[in-house]
Amino acid sequence: MNQEQWETLVAVVRGETPRPLPTGFIIDCPWLPNWAGHTILDYFTDERMFLEDNLKAIRTFPKALFLPGFWSEYGMCTEPSAFGAASVWEQNEFPFAKKVLRSPAEVDGLERPNPRKDGLLPFVIKRLQHLEPEIERAGHSIRFAVARGPLNIATFLMGATEFLTAIKTEPERMHRLLSITTDFLVDWIAYQRECFPSIDGILLLDDIVGFVGRRDFESFGLPYLKRAFDADVTVKFFHNDAPCKACAPCLPDAGINLLNFGVQHTLGEMRAWTGDSITLLGNVPPRDVLGAGTPADVTRAVTDMLNATDFRSRLIPSCGGGMPPGVPTENIEAFVATVEALTR
Amino acid sequence: MSDVSSLSEAIERGDAKAAAAATRRALERGADPMSLVSEGISPAMTEMGRQFGEGDCFVPELLMAARATKEVFEILRPLLSQKGTKPVARVVLGTVRGDLHDIGKNLVGALLEGGGFEVTDLGVDVPPERFVAAVEHQKPEIVGLSALLTTTLPAMKATLEALRDAGIRGQVKVMIGGAPVTASYADAIGADGYAENAGTAVDLARRLIGADVASRSKGEPAT
Repeated sequence: MNQEQWETLVAVVRGETPRPLPTGFIIDCPWLPNWAGHTILDYFTDERMFLEDNLKAIRTFPKALFLPGFWSEYGMCTEPSAFGAASVWEQNEFPFAKKVLRSPAEVDGLERPNPRKDGLLPFVIKRLQHLEPEIERAGHSIRFAVARGPLNIATFLMGATEFLTAIKTEPERMHRLLSITTDFLVDWIAYQRECFPSIDGILLLDDIVGFVGRRDFESFGLPYLKRAFDADVTVKFFHNDAPCKACAPCLPDAGINLLNFGVQHTLGEMRAWTGDSITLLGNVPPRDVLGAGTPADVTRAVTDMLNATDFRSRLIPSCGGGMPPGVPTENIEAFVATVEALTR
Repeated sequence: MSDVSSLSEAIERGDAKAAAAATRRALERGADPMSLVSEGISPAMTEMGRQFGEGDCFVPELLMAARATKEVFEILRPLLSQKGTKPVARVVLGTVRGDLHDIGKNLVGALLEGGGFEVTDLGVDVPPERFVAAVEHQKPEIVGLSALLTTTLPAMKATLEALRDAGIRGQVKVMIGGAPVTASYADAIGADGYAENAGTAVDLARRLIGADVASRSKGEPAT
């Protein structure tokens, strides 16, 4: 993200309403490598390819805000790898992490990793450090510390079914697990900020908070998210594209001021639930429209979304979730052009 | 409160011990095992599915109810088997090749079982040939395919093609579901149905079986 784009983002988050509104998308391995003509594994293992694919996207769509910009990513394996999770890599599929906890009791032996030396984290940091001069020369900066959220990491470590059952059967142990994942997250975010002083935002991705009810969120979600986001940065960005009606009213309490959510809810509903303090990034269907539709479908969906939304402040039109695989260039161009035309 | 009502309430609370106790008590008093399924378990899981679909109950509550149901079935299964009770239908369920996510599949399996279906869970990362083998050996009426990753959606199509190539596609209805799955994708790959969430999966399964029965009664081949 270049300085102008960052300032636009910050202005929107602070409540200014630029005309036209910016369009923003989360882009990462599900979309970017294949769009650029590469496999996911090549993208992860070739620094040049990683850099050039990101620059290609930025240059192809200069009017779009790509969030979080250049970031530390090895798919879903990044954080679990620090806990010792075996990572499975196939040529053109998302890498995934195998469980490390076979029962809730094994939480008792779980150690808090050191982000400076455990798992893939040093590689993630080094890759970005190697590329940082070129990123800067291209006019961009590393703006966000990025991580999976505390519940999301917990489910990678022990399985979603097991974790979500254990919060009912072994709540104390699950609190212990979440304390460890959150302590680790705090360290990991701090280390990213230490390595890249240009960072002024945090992005946490955690769909699991959408799977629990309000009371469970207040117990197992909110305190941990609040701690993970408790840093002196300008943008506190949260992604959860599971249904999140139950937790939405609590998200401002976690310090979040930018939210990307799923298509289960409209922008109007989310604004009503979260209040005016959170900037909403959404909410065109990513797969059915942006991925599988035509440019005309995209134009229609963006128009309908904006017509159905009676506010323009703290709004960044996007899709409901990250950019899905297979979205063609012309659909993104149609999205950006429609937002620009309708919000002048 | 009757034993059957106690059983339903225990399942809805996710209290496996109370559900098992209510089941044993009902059986001691001469209850028919099948009536405990149809009047105790099935309404409870239907209600949980309804609440889940409407956002009034969440995954942990559903998992706990599933756990309680499983405990009750451990008691009832041998008795149902002795009586030769037939399930509503048999379902073979699995998360498709390349995908290790099991939560959606587990929820659907629990709700189907609670609805009187006999469920064979093939687990996660199931290759097409294992679905084919399961259909050939177990002769289910329905195959359920689950996926969470967008990248594993093609494995759903590959599974349908494998069933077709093996000449057994017409023997089963195929329902699909999972976060990246949509109704239009189900249509595009030729699945028979799409469940938007676990709460709607049981209704879909019932509809698929009903449609099949109706078409057969008209002398038409099942498709």
